[in-house]
Order: sequence, then C-alpha cells, then structure tokens
Amino acid sequence: MPDWIHRLVAPSAIVITVGAVPCYAATYLTVEQAQKLCFPQATGFVNADVKLTPEQVKAIEKDSGTRVRLPTQKIWRANAGDKFLGWLIEDEVLGKHEFISWVLALNADGSIKQIEILDYRETYGYEIRNEKWRDQFHGKRHGAKLKLDDDIKNISGATLSCRHITDGVKRLLSLHALALK
Amino acid sequence: MPSRSNSEIRRCRPLLGTFVEITASGLDDAALHRAVNAAFAALERIQNLMSVHDPASELSLVNREAADRPVTVSRETFAVLLHADTLASESGGAFDYTIAPTLARWGLLPKELERKAPGSWRQVRLLSDDRVRFLRPLAVDLGGIAKGFAVDAAIEALRAQHVTAAVVNAGGDLRMVGSQPCTVHLRHPSKPQTFGQTLSLRESALATSSPCFSQRTWRGQKVSHLVNPTTSQAITGAVSVSVRAPECWLADALTKVVLNAPHVADRLLAKYDAEAFMLLV
Repeated sequence: MPDWIHRLVAPSAIVITVGAVPCYAATYLTVEQAQKLCFPQATGFVNADVKLTPEQVKAIEKDSGTRVRLPTQKIWRANAGDKFLGWLIEDEVLGKHEFISWVLALNADGSIKQIEILDYRETYGYEIRNEKWRDQFHGKRHGAKLKLDDDIKNISGATLSCRHITDGVKRLLSLHALALK
Repeated sequence: MPSRSNSEIRRCRPLLGTFVEITASGLDDAALHRAVNAAFAALERIQNLMSVHDPASELSLVNREAADRPVTVSRETFAVLLHADTLASESGGAFDYTIAPTLARWGLLPKELERKAPGSWRQVRLLSDDRVRFLRPLAVDLGGIAKGFAVDAAIEALRAQHVTAAVVNAGGDLRMVGSQPCTVHLRHPSKPQTFGQTLSLRESALATSSPCFSQRTWRGQKVSHLVNPTTSQAITGAVSVSVRAPECWLADALTKVVLNAPHVADRLLAKYDAEAFMLLV
C-alpha cells in the first residue's frame, strides 16, 4: 500500500470488512399508491390486463428490439368520470443483479407521463447459488481466458445502471402501439 | 406552510443513467409527494441539459458548436462548467472535464465524440453572459460532476417545499438534510453485493468513484470511466474512493482528484472542508 493512503485516510478511516449482507432491497410504492401519484385526478382505475398472443409477442419484440419475458401484462385504464386519462402498466425487469417492479403511466395519446419504481431488489446471491450460472465454468479449460460479458453472464459491470428500465419503456411503448390502441 | 407530520416517504425513479432514490419526511404525505415530484423534476431538468448521451441536450450543442462560435447556455450548465473549471485549475488538471474523446474511444461514451481530439480544460473559455467557447474542437463531459450537481438541485427543490429531513441518492452520489445523522453503507469495490463498514453523516454529501463498476477490456487494455488526464490512462483495479463534502457536486468531483492526484487532494480536501475514504482490496 503506497504511503499516501495513510495520509488521506484520517483516524476515522474506513477499512472495508466484508460483511455477509447478500443483497439490497427497497420497497417504494404499492400499485395503488402509484396509481394515485400518476393520475391524481382519476376517479377510477379499470382493469385492462392483456394476454399477448404469440404473434403479438413477436411483433413487440421486433418493434422494440427487446425480449418479452411475460406474455401477460397488468394494465389499468385511468378515468375521471367518463373521461379517459391514460394507461398505467405494471411491469418487471431483471437487470444484471437487480429485480425491479415498476410502472409506466401513459397519457391518453400514448406519450409517457411518468415512471415510478415500486420495488428494487439486488440478487447477487441467486446467481452464485444458481447451478446454471455455475455450469458456465464447467468445461472451461484450465488457463482458458475468461472474458467478462462474453463467457460469464451478468456478474460484472455497473450494478446501478438503469438500462433495463430504458429497454422496458421501449417494450411497453411497442405494446401500447400494437396491443392497446 | 404545510402541516408537520411524522410520516416518511421513499420513492425512486430511473434518472441520470441510474436509480435516484429520494427519502423525505417532516410534512404530511401529500405535501411530501409534491416536494418529491418537484425534486425529480429538478433532476430531470439537469439531465436534459447536461447529458452527453442525449444529442438534444445543451451540452451536446456546446460540443458540436462551441469550437465555431460562443454558445449561450443555461444558468445551471454555466454554473457546472464554472465549478468544473475551478476544480480543474485548482487541481492542476487532476480533475479534467475534457476527457470525453478518450472515453468514447473506449466505448464508454457516444461514438461521435471519438472524432474530437482529446483536449484540455485550458482550451475551454467561459465568457460573460453564460457563453462557452472552445479554442479548438474538443468535447466536454460533465459526468464527473453533473450528477452531484443534480443531487444538490434536488435538495434545493425539497428545501423550497419546506421539507426538513431528506436524502437524495443518485446511484451512490448522495446528499442529506436534517438534524438527525444518517447511516451510509459503502459498497465493496470488487464485490458489490457486499457492504463494508458504515458512515454516519449529517447535513453533508457523499460521492463514491470506483473503476470496478465500469471496468472492461478494450483492445487488450483494461479501461474504465475514470481517466488520469495527465497520462490518458484508465484508472483500474480494486480501488474505491468516497468523499464527504458540504455539497454533492464537490464530493463527486473531488473523488476524481483523490484517485488521480492524491498529493494535490490533501490541500483541496482541506480547502473545501471535505474528507476522503479510500478503500483498497
């Protein structure tokens, strides 16, 4: 350790001791709370769940360039009396290490109104225990160069990137265009 | 003045390329939600102005045109550029906001920035009336400071709505207000699923930089989003620097000074009433 580190780190120095905390999780909103936040003027939310046909799944995947993991989507129509205000779509995405449930609120014309995260969980532990993940290492020759991203799935990299939500938004906008209009 | 209450709300949105979490308390629920909405709006405004990934941002306009003519920018963008320029000068270039072409070459920033030559902060002129001029074609990237500035803007928005206790955390760059101390866990730089010891902070900001989270291989060479401006080499390895400072833009930017030039960092940390925590594995 170079000597300057000692100078920088005051007596209150923090030295990492690896704890056994396997993951981080936070719950922000229930769906009902998110409904009220996204459409404060709404007087009612009518269930409008969609079960996508295989053709619709294919079309959404082609249009958005993202994969549709679940064919059923929880959706509500927000109304103020007789007036249609917009859609609220509940979704979940799996990031590299995170599992996130979230909602996308769309205005009546299909433009984005709001995004709120409902629940965020990090899932490193799962991958470590997961046999499929461990199997990736089997058959690797000793000394074979393991390249991150190519050979090992989802263990390195920016743990806090929100790219998966961005992909989710693309997918739900396609869903709206192809299955909700 | 909205009525006082003991409730606390916690919300999260994808912004600034990460997840921004806001915790607020001290008012009734409806007033807290309104305040948090205003804070998210402030963050979104900074993102729209200063994202280097968004071709429609003000910063992208500056990068396209400031070498040809002075470009007038918003009060906020000019404030961040002034902060960046001051720290670049005071750190002798250890904090440099013109490393974008290098990062683009490594695939960490949009491809079109690669065409610019790696410049120097010395070739950026900040003129009267919030105008910016480059002395030669170069590209500015405020990634090392704007996230912290956005956190500060969100805190200002919460204060303007009379929130008395709050934490804004943008993917690890955070700031808190309130009389009670808050506990912050530091992520282990090479094993991000685990946390090290905790810090207890009050009325301050904390930012962490570590190459661990962005490290990758480019043409057989290890690269990250952290660049030493004097050598144009990436900072790599299992190291992580956290800086506590009064404001988040300062904490954010000072992490780079500590990583690049520890000999300069001592003086700057003292000047700005900041302290650094360096984690090695």
